[in-house]
Amino acid sequence: MIFAHGSLLPDSRLPGLLAGLEGELNAALAGPPLPAETVLAALDALGRRLAAGEFDALLRRFLPAGELARLGEVLPLFTRDVLEEKLRAELGPERFSPRERRQTTARFLPLGVLLHVAAGNQPGLGLFSVAEGLLTGNVNLLKLPREDKGLSLAALSLLTEAAPELAGFVYAFDLPSSRTAELTALAGLADGIAVWGGDGAVETFRHLAPPGCRLMEWGHRLSFAYLSGPPAAQELDALAAHIAATGQRLCSSCQVIFLDTGDFSAARAFAEAFLPRLERAVLARRTGPWESARAALSGYTAFLERVTAGREPGEAFFRGRGCSVTARPDRELELSPMEGNVLVKPLPRSELLPVLRRQKGRLQTAGLLCAEEEREALTALLARAGVTRITRAGRLSDAFPGEGHDGEYPLRRYLRVVDVEN
Amino acid sequence: MPSRQALFWHPRPYDLPASDALFLRAAADNCAYHIAHCPGYAAICRRLDFDPKSLRSTEDLARIPVLPTLLFKREALFSMPERRMAMRVTSSGTSGTFSRIGFDWGSLLAEVPMVLRLGARHRLISGVPAHCVVLGYQPHRDNHAGVTRTMYGLTFFSPPLSRTYALQRRGTSYIPDLDGAAHALERLAASPFPTRVIGFPSYLWFGLQQLEALGRTVRLRPGSRIILAGGWKEHGAQEVAKSALYAAAERVLGVPPDHIHELFGAVEHPVFYNACPNHRFHVPIYSRVLIRDPETLAPLPMGEVGLINLISPLMTATPTLSVMTDDLGYLEPGDACGCGIPSPALTIVGRVGMSDIRTCAAGAAELLGKGEMG
Repeated sequence: MIFAHGSLLPDSRLPGLLAGLEGELNAALAGPPLPAETVLAALDALGRRLAAGEFDALLRRFLPAGELARLGEVLPLFTRDVLEEKLRAELGPERFSPRERRQTTARFLPLGVLLHVAAGNQPGLGLFSVAEGLLTGNVNLLKLPREDKGLSLAALSLLTEAAPELAGFVYAFDLPSSRTAELTALAGLADGIAVWGGDGAVETFRHLAPPGCRLMEWGHRLSFAYLSGPPAAQELDALAAHIAATGQRLCSSCQVIFLDTGDFSAARAFAEAFLPRLERAVLARRTGPWESARAALSGYTAFLERVTAGREPGEAFFRGRGCSVTARPDRELELSPMEGNVLVKPLPRSELLPVLRRQKGRLQTAGLLCAEEEREALTALLARAGVTRITRAGRLSDAFPGEGHDGEYPLRRYLRVVDVEN
Repeated sequence: MPSRQALFWHPRPYDLPASDALFLRAAADNCAYHIAHCPGYAAICRRLDFDPKSLRSTEDLARIPVLPTLLFKREALFSMPERRMAMRVTSSGTSGTFSRIGFDWGSLLAEVPMVLRLGARHRLISGVPAHCVVLGYQPHRDNHAGVTRTMYGLTFFSPPLSRTYALQRRGTSYIPDLDGAAHALERLAASPFPTRVIGFPSYLWFGLQQLEALGRTVRLRPGSRIILAGGWKEHGAQEVAKSALYAAAERVLGVPPDHIHELFGAVEHPVFYNACPNHRFHVPIYSRVLIRDPETLAPLPMGEVGLINLISPLMTATPTLSVMTDDLGYLEPGDACGCGIPSPALTIVGRVGMSDIRTCAAGAAELLGKGEMG
C-alpha cells in the first residue's frame, strides 16, 4: 500500500505517483508553510486518542502480540508538552523565529523534502520520524520497514483525517530495500535522508543519497551499565527490571554490566549474585512459555558457541529460569545473547576510555550505578569516552523530555538557515 | 556404522521398546564418532561432562548434549570433510540465516528402508503412475533447501508421469505460478491417471481458497493424493484448522481426508515422520523425542508443553544426534490416539520465532564480527 494525498492507494499506483511526485513536492514547497502549531495540535490529538486505547482494536490487526505494549513506549512522545519541550530544547526558546544578526537576519526554514527510512524493531518509529519532519515543516516521504504491517499507514491516515492540511506533507511507501530504482528516485527528490536501522540500511542509503543530500544516520547503538562501588539493592533490582522489560532489544538496552575493578573473580561473584534478581524480574514479566523458550535458546546457544569456539574456559555461565548471566574476563563492550542473557565484565575506570573508544560511533547509553560523590567524575569520564546518554540504574531506555538523539538535536538537522541581508 | 544400519533396517517402525537397545547402541556409536571427528562437538561433550559410554538406558538419552538448531545456523559444525559427504543441504531460514547440514552416504543408505517401510505403512507408495503437482520449489542445482529435495523425492513414491511446479525458477529467483498449477489440476482431472499434489500446507490452503472463489473446482481421479510437507511456518500464512483444510481439499479437488498425508521433518533431523489417520505424528523407532522445560531445559513429563528435542543417530557428517528446534510442542501416549500405533505422538504447538527478532543492538554487532573485538 501507498499513502499519499491523505489516503491509501494500491501499490499498482506507484509508477504513476512517482512520475508526478516531483511536481507535487514542488507545489507543496511553493505553497503556504506548515505552521508548527498545526502539527503540534494534530500530533497531540492523535497521541491522546492512541493513549486512550481508542484504536487498540484496530492496531491489534497490524501488530503482533505484545507489540501493542511496545508502541506504548513511543506514545508519550506524542503529547503537546513533550513536543513543545523538544522544540524548546533543540531550537532554543525562540524556536523558528528569525534571529537578528549585525547585518543580516537569520531565518529558519524547513530543509525541504525528507526521506525517512524506518527500522522495524520498534513499532511507531516511522511515525515518530515523520512527526519530527512535520514539526520542522518538511515534506516527508516514509519508506516503511518490512515488519510494518500497516501500523504506520493506519496512524498516518488517522493523523491526516483529523488535520487535512497535513495531507500534502506526508507520503509513505511499502517498498522493500531491493527496489533500488524506486528508492533511488525517492532519494533523488530528497534534501535529507533520515535512516534508522542497521549498517546495511545505512550503507545502502549512503550510496543512494546524491551528493549534497543531508544524511541523518540513526544507526544501531550499544548500551551498558557501569557499576562502581557496592550498589544499593533497589538499584540492582531496577537494572534487572530494565533488562527483563526491554529484552535487551533496544539500542539503549543494557548488554554488558561493567564493574569498576580489574578483578575477574569479583565479576564472577557479582554475576552469580545478580542472577536471582534477574530471574525474579524476568519471571515477574513472563506471560507464557514463549519468552522463556526464546531466552533459554538464546542464552544456551551463545554458551555452546563459546564452547565450540574454545572461548568458554575462563568464563562463568550462570543459567537461571528464563535468563542467564555470563561473566567474561575480557573488557570489550559487545552484544549480549539478548532476551535476558546479560554479560558481566571487569573494566577498571583507568581503562574505560580506551576500551569504549574502540566502539566510537556506536556508543549510546550508560546506566551509572555509583556513590553520589563519585557520580560527577564518572559521568564526565563516560561522556569523554563517547557515551551520549547517562542515566540512573534501570532508566537506560526511558525517554526524557528534551533529550538529544545519539548526540544530536535532530530538529536542527531538519532545518536550514537562510541569511538575509538587512 | 553397523549399529545405525541395524536400527534403520529394523522391521517394526513403531515398536520403540523392541528397538531401544539398538537405538542406544547406535546413539552411543554416533556420539563417539562425532567426538572423534568434530572438535566443536567434542568440546561441548567435554564441557557438559558427557561420555557416550555412560549411555545405558533410554533415560540416559536426555544427558546427550542437545544442540539447538540455532547453533547450526551460526556455526559450521561438521564431522567429515565435504568431499566425503554425499550432499549438503540447508534449512529454510526465514531471514537469511539457515543451518548447513552435511549428509553422509551411510545416512542416505539408512534412509532407504525407513522411507520404504513408513511409505508402505502409510500407503504413500503405489505402483500406479501418477502426475505430480508440486506446490513448492522447482529443483535447481543452486537450490540446496532440504524441503525442495524432499518434495522432489516425494514425486517418486509412485512412477511420476509429469511434474508441475508452483514456484518456478526464473534466472536466479523463483516466481509463484499458482495459476499454472491450477490449470494443470484442471487438465489432470481429465487424465486416466491419478494426481499427487505435493506441497506446503499454506500454499495448498491459499490455492484451494482461490480456486473455490473462482468456482474452479475439479474432481481428481480416484486414488489421487495430497502430500503436505514443509510446515505452515514456511510462508507466514495463518495456520488454519486442519479440518477446514481437509474439507476444502475434498470440495475443491475431490480428494478425501484419508488420501491426505502430512509429513514432518527437519534438515537437522531428517527422520520421516508421517501423520497417522488421526493427524498425529507418532515417533518412529529411528527417533526419540524429549520435551524440555522452556525455562530450565530439563526434560518434562508426558503432556507438558516445552521445547522439542529430537534425537536420532542417523547422521555422521554433522553432529545432529540430539537437536532442539525452536518449536514448542508436547507428547501424548500413543495408545490415547486410537489409531493403533503404539508409540508416543508429537504435537507441535508453534514456533518460538527466534529469526523474527531484528534488533537495533544486534545490527551494531554485525559489523564487529559477531560482537567481539580483540
